[in-house]
Amino acid sequence: MVSISSDVIRGYNDTIILYLLLDAPSYGYEISKQIKNLSEEKYVIKETTLYSAFTRMEKNGYIESFNDEDMSNGKRRTYYRITEAGRQYYKDKCAEWKLTKEVVEKFIEEEI
Amino acid sequence: METIKNYLETMFQSLPNTPQVQKAKHELGQMMEDKYTELKKEGKTENEAIGIVISEFGNLDDIAEDLGIGSFVKEQDFSQTRMLSMQEGKDFIKDKLKSGFLIGLGTFLCITSPSGVILSEESILGLLYLFVSIAVAVGIFIFSGAIMGKWDFLKQQPCSIDFATAEFVHNERENYRMTNALLYAVGVMFCILCFVPLVVMEELSWGIARSNFGVVILLAFVAIGVLLFIVAGVRSGAYDTLLKLNDVNTMGGRFVSSQSGQVRYNNKTVAAIMSVYWPTVTCIYLVWSFLSFDWHITWIVWVIASVIETFIKNMYRS
Repeated sequence: MVSISSDVIRGYNDTIILYLLLDAPSYGYEISKQIKNLSEEKYVIKETTLYSAFTRMEKNGYIESFNDEDMSNGKRRTYYRITEAGRQYYKDKCAEWKLTKEVVEKFIEEEI
Repeated sequence: METIKNYLETMFQSLPNTPQVQKAKHELGQMMEDKYTELKKEGKTENEAIGIVISEFGNLDDIAEDLGIGSFVKEQDFSQTRMLSMQEGKDFIKDKLKSGFLIGLGTFLCITSPSGVILSEESILGLLYLFVSIAVAVGIFIFSGAIMGKWDFLKQQPCSIDFATAEFVHNERENYRMTNALLYAVGVMFCILCFVPLVVMEELSWGIARSNFGVVILLAFVAIGVLLFIVAGVRSGAYDTLLKLNDVNTMGGRFVSSQSGQVRYNNKTVAAIMSVYWPTVTCIYLVWSFLSFDWHITWIVWVIASVIETFIKNMYRS
């Protein structure tokens, strides 16, 4: 059973999270659930990894946090929203990934 | 959910108590709770849900750098800090109670040891009683010291307790609060009333032999009072010792909020009254004393006031 390369994915946690924030603000568990579902359960992000990404990106100005009530159960939570700088960073990371993928692909043999 | 909470508290136990760390703990706890709730809703059993949540929690190393505690997590040497288990905590309290009762008993013997001499008017038998009592008391002191000897490590090396134990001890202490106040109150009463039998017997003028008997009763009253003080004090002391094991600068030091010495009242009126309590008592004492010039009895205001204070503290503490 092949599993995901944690070294590679680590560099793209920010990209994944920013993608999920593009349309609307979200909160911790919601994001981790979406990652799990969209990756078809191939990638389950650890809570600590997720929180670390939040604090780092907030420090860099890519996302902002705010407190709000959850519509469904009225619980107060910390929500995150993407900033302009975050969108720019996301675009850069996408371009970076395309290039990386292109390069690595050249060295991948489909059948050995 | 309790298990998850304990897990999180224990993970954060030795981290410094800073706003960043508190926020991280809160956020992570929120995520774990959300995940747990959802897993339960999907029909997972309690154990399955807990297992998944904890296995997907990750590692504190991941967030260490962001919290400015990178060096802390790496340098942390768990072998230095002795973790006290729940069972050890319970044993400690049990031993402390045992030794406290023995010390109280020894003290009782010491205080009442002159009884024989007083009653028998310094006969050899009375002297014998005096020495035997003291010898037994010393033996008891040594024995009680031996019981506590195995817990010396609590003072010699850094120890800590986990969240579950802290909660347990805290609850025990809460339950014990009223009993503690009662023991103190009864002890104080014995001390105040100790001279009553003596006075009564003198009044009835039963003769010298009887009044000697009054002195013996006086000693016994004082001894009972002191015994109660010691038993009560040792027990709350045991709870406090355990709760204070965690370093106050770490998250562990925050396990039980009531650890800080300051008393908080859960009733605004009571809090207001208590803030002027001792000045008022002083006023009452001075006014009464100067008006009546009964200085020989007015001191009792202090004793009564301190008993009332203990009661109020225990009734209204939040």
